[in-house]
Amino acid sequence: MTTESTPAVALRMTGITKSFPGVMALQDVDLEINEGEVHAIVGENGAGKSTLMKILAGFYQPDKGEIEVGGRKATHWTPREARSRGIGMIYQELNLVPDLSVAENISLGAMPKRGPFVDYRAMNAKAAAVLDELDTDIDPGTRLGDLSISQQQLVEIAKVVARQPNIVVFDEPTSSLGDKETRVLFDVITKMRDRGIAIIYISHRLQEVMEIGDRVTVLRDGRHIETRDVAGITPDEMVSLMVGRDLNEMFPKFDLELGEQVLSVVGASRAGQFDNVTLDVRKHEIVGLAGLVGSGRTEVARALFGLDPLEEGTITLAGKTVKIRSPRQGVAAGVALVPEDRKGQGIIPGLSVRENFTLPVITRITNALLIFLGKERKIVTELADRLKVNPPQVERPLNVFSGGNQQKVVLGKWLLSEPKLLILDEPTRGVDVGAKADIHHIIGEFAQDGGGVLMISSELPELLAVCDRIFVLHEGVISAEISRADATEESVMRAATGQEVAA
Amino acid sequence: MNQLVAPAKSLDKSKTPGALFSTLSIPIAILVLVVIGSVASPSFLTVNNLTNVLNANSAVGLIALGMTFVMVSGGLADLSVPANVAMGALVTLGAQESMGTGLAALMGLLVASMGGVVNGILIGYLRINPIIATLGTGSVLLGLSQLLVGGGIVYAQPSALSTFVKSSILGIPVFIWIFIFVALILHPLLARTSFGRWSLAVGGNYQAAQASAVPVRFTKAAAFAMTGFLAGLCGVLLALSNGQARPIIGTGYEFVAITAVVIGGTSVFGGNGSVLRTVGGVLITALIGNLIILLGFPSQATGLITGAIVLGAVGIDAYFRRKAGRL
Amino acid sequence: MKNFDFALLGTRAVQYRLVIMLVAVAVFGGLSLDDFLTVNTLQSVLDRATVVGFLALGLTPVLIAGQIDLSIGSMMSMAGITTIFMQPVIGNVPAAAAGVAVGILIGAVNALMVVVFKINSLVATLATLLIFASLALLLTNSYPLSSEDPIFGLPLTADFLWILTPRSAIFLTAAVLMFVWLKLTPTGRNLYAVGSDAPAATSSGINANGYIATSFILSGFFAGLAGMMQSLSTAAGSPVAGAVMLIPAITAVVIGGTRLEGGRGSSLATLGGVLALGALTTALEYNGVPSYTQAIYTGLLLILLISLDRIVSGHGGASSRAQRSVRVAPRNTPLPRRNA
Repeated sequence: MTTESTPAVALRMTGITKSFPGVMALQDVDLEINEGEVHAIVGENGAGKSTLMKILAGFYQPDKGEIEVGGRKATHWTPREARSRGIGMIYQELNLVPDLSVAENISLGAMPKRGPFVDYRAMNAKAAAVLDELDTDIDPGTRLGDLSISQQQLVEIAKVVARQPNIVVFDEPTSSLGDKETRVLFDVITKMRDRGIAIIYISHRLQEVMEIGDRVTVLRDGRHIETRDVAGITPDEMVSLMVGRDLNEMFPKFDLELGEQVLSVVGASRAGQFDNVTLDVRKHEIVGLAGLVGSGRTEVARALFGLDPLEEGTITLAGKTVKIRSPRQGVAAGVALVPEDRKGQGIIPGLSVRENFTLPVITRITNALLIFLGKERKIVTELADRLKVNPPQVERPLNVFSGGNQQKVVLGKWLLSEPKLLILDEPTRGVDVGAKADIHHIIGEFAQDGGGVLMISSELPELLAVCDRIFVLHEGVISAEISRADATEESVMRAATGQEVAA
Repeated sequence: MNQLVAPAKSLDKSKTPGALFSTLSIPIAILVLVVIGSVASPSFLTVNNLTNVLNANSAVGLIALGMTFVMVSGGLADLSVPANVAMGALVTLGAQESMGTGLAALMGLLVASMGGVVNGILIGYLRINPIIATLGTGSVLLGLSQLLVGGGIVYAQPSALSTFVKSSILGIPVFIWIFIFVALILHPLLARTSFGRWSLAVGGNYQAAQASAVPVRFTKAAAFAMTGFLAGLCGVLLALSNGQARPIIGTGYEFVAITAVVIGGTSVFGGNGSVLRTVGGVLITALIGNLIILLGFPSQATGLITGAIVLGAVGIDAYFRRKAGRL
Repeated sequence: MKNFDFALLGTRAVQYRLVIMLVAVAVFGGLSLDDFLTVNTLQSVLDRATVVGFLALGLTPVLIAGQIDLSIGSMMSMAGITTIFMQPVIGNVPAAAAGVAVGILIGAVNALMVVVFKINSLVATLATLLIFASLALLLTNSYPLSSEDPIFGLPLTADFLWILTPRSAIFLTAAVLMFVWLKLTPTGRNLYAVGSDAPAATSSGINANGYIATSFILSGFFAGLAGMMQSLSTAAGSPVAGAVMLIPAITAVVIGGTRLEGGRGSSLATLGGVLALGALTTALEYNGVPSYTQAIYTGLLLILLISLDRIVSGHGGASSRAQRSVRVAPRNTPLPRRNA
């Protein structure tokens, strides 16, 4: 607003156009990033964010358009060239090597040498310095694979920071981080920005964009829609720019009379993961399970489904006490789990939508010998239609579908098993706004039809909007049970960080 | 919304060059081989020759059928096949005198199946790398089979069963009938049953299959048990029809079987494949072997030509897959 | 908790398996044979282990890079017959070099298939195994070639230095050099990175394909070396010399502790595996155990060690497995690459 000297432009991309066979991925996109700013880029999946970033990183060549870094035109733009011109990329999927040490990972590709040998002393010192800068106490000598996911995320950041880049792209960096780690990350980003580094921040979490971003660029359908100061925009405005229409109800909530107990867990424990967990879910009810990453949320979910059975405690489902020691017993008892790690544990990429849908229930559409293919096709087509799987081609392999549609298929396969209790672990992570609304709708319908839902999410606004009740885990122990009326971001967060232990 | 959701099911799957290549390649390859054969030698396209070719390849074909399940379920390959073939053959002939041919053959099948079950436990339940596990069990079983007969040859006694195995029904040798019979059972087992679906899922993504309540360990183990059984069957049949057996009776069969499965287009990483395609693969390898002899090449050239074809087929397939993946 | 000691015992057993095996073989050999624990025996064990040793050594970088090479036996046979065949044509030393060169050449073919044509290494090297085993038989018409200069190769297995023969000295040196390369140089560390997570390594600017190709060529080089030395010391080039070598070589590498999934292993571990296996074989042979019974012991040993390793590392229950699966997740889900 004031007439400061205009900041130097770190990166200028002009008229970037990129098409793939049959798809126009980017059309005449302009982007200008200043030194010392955090520039957020938002848009639905398929809006072109990742294509644009892959062009910036040198993985794709644009069909048309120019890239200018630090005032110099970029020619021969390859990943190597991009890196040497000071561009660092931090993806949501880690780019680390589990079998090497933290220090080796940080220096990977450019290890310091003494003569022909690796200069381990210099390498470890360098790693220690960078890790120190990031306020972590990770030992550079640890084997990377022995660290937790969020620690690995920090190593990933350290690796990029160590190269002293002038432009850093964060692509969904917080998706596997808990609140505390997110705070650390934001501190790091702020520090980097203050040193004049240009930051590009990509996230589906608009609250984060509001908090950390200076400016925000909205992409939609491969086009640049608008670039605005974050101070002059609201999340609602961003959403409507992203989807091109007003989305007045992001989280639909059906008001339903709660029924009898579907699930009751008493004194559930697994050594080192969670202890004496007691919770319940009623018919028509959506219960949230909140907590930081590592608080034991996912472990509780896995235990209830039988992936890692309980060591102590009882599970009662619809009035019957059950033993669940394997996913098969879980399914038989009427439990379904939509796992956190969609690619790793949710989908079978090479199988078709149809085959993915019916996998857990395949024995139910089989006579003594063979699968009823006709019946299978009919069930699956109807379900795909109901869940708005797009494109509606159930014979295509699942790996050609977008993340949101893959998630719908994972959800759908569990709906087919007709569970009494549906457990959802981060059901909308990395899913675009449109698909997210669809998924919430599906969950709501399931509860309406008489099911009980136990839902884990790192996104508090989502939990607050969707859930009737929220249990909060802190270091493996239930620290609070909060009703819908009392639930606020503050109350949940206080319990999750152990500041308040409610009865 | 709903109006837009027209059934567009069949549009995309068969139109890409890669998909076209993978569906048509096997029939075309067989056709080309038959054409070459009939041009090259007048004796190729005779009932006698073709029957002989199939007869000679039915034994290893049985193993290829089992190996299909191993590969589809992500079990890479069963390298203990020669040992199980030897076990089946040697136990049958060794026990023939004491317990009669029928029971001895059953014993042979049982022992080889046990070998397969051990593989299954090691790989499915203990989750040991299949290459290592089957190298190990192969080594042990082959050693045991040699120990059993002191390293030499065992001869068969004449029996009704071996006469039957060597005979023909409707002009087609029993060996081929057995191969057809097993293929007719195994094809729907993979394509149309829950177990088949489980195999594809386990090979496609083990963890996701486990999290979808698929009995992952059983599925993987069963593939190896089945291959052990079929290797044993192969051994029993070979022993009875040849009238003798040596420990090296199945040497190289594992590679021929893998070759047939791979030529059939089943992915080595698992997650896709079909028994019918493997039958195609067996036919192709059989015809190639036959052509080599008819064209006057030395029989040692078989490996060279099959190897080259494997490289060609898999290379082209990989090329198309990459091209399709880029879309 | 009450299983704790057992678990620890298992862990230790796996950790020190090579030492335990060598001691066990020494005790067993020493008790069962009068003249087992002698320098002569040691020399013999070392010398005889050399051929399998070279193959195993060549296999080590391939496995570290996450690949497999089944064609080592065929490469060895080809190198052997080339060496013997070329002796009268171009002289002894150039013929030996030609033998090694054939190994390198076939290794380069493997590299080409895997890296350029993107054929899975199991399939590609299975194919080259078939091709070159068949070619070796064709070239020799299935008969072994005998050397025109049988004296030339004899010094390779003669006394050299204390317990060493020239070829075992070369083998030991090669193992140590490889260890230095793998553990102490950037390119060595990069090889581990490629095997552990190739997409991640690539995104760090490491030319993963280059490393994979190099590992296959190295494997060819060592198989060539093995074939050349074997043929010179036996003064014969057999077309099937290498066919029986694949299983012992893989066994030795795996006993040493190199993982088939890539990212872990070392040439000294392979050396240990080769020696342990060699000592066991020799002890059994001195006791008059027929070779097929030896195969039983080797196979059992392989299964036992690998199962123990599995059970021990799986100990601590499913909990650690669950955590590991989360941790391992990014490895299974490579970064969005060109084909995303």
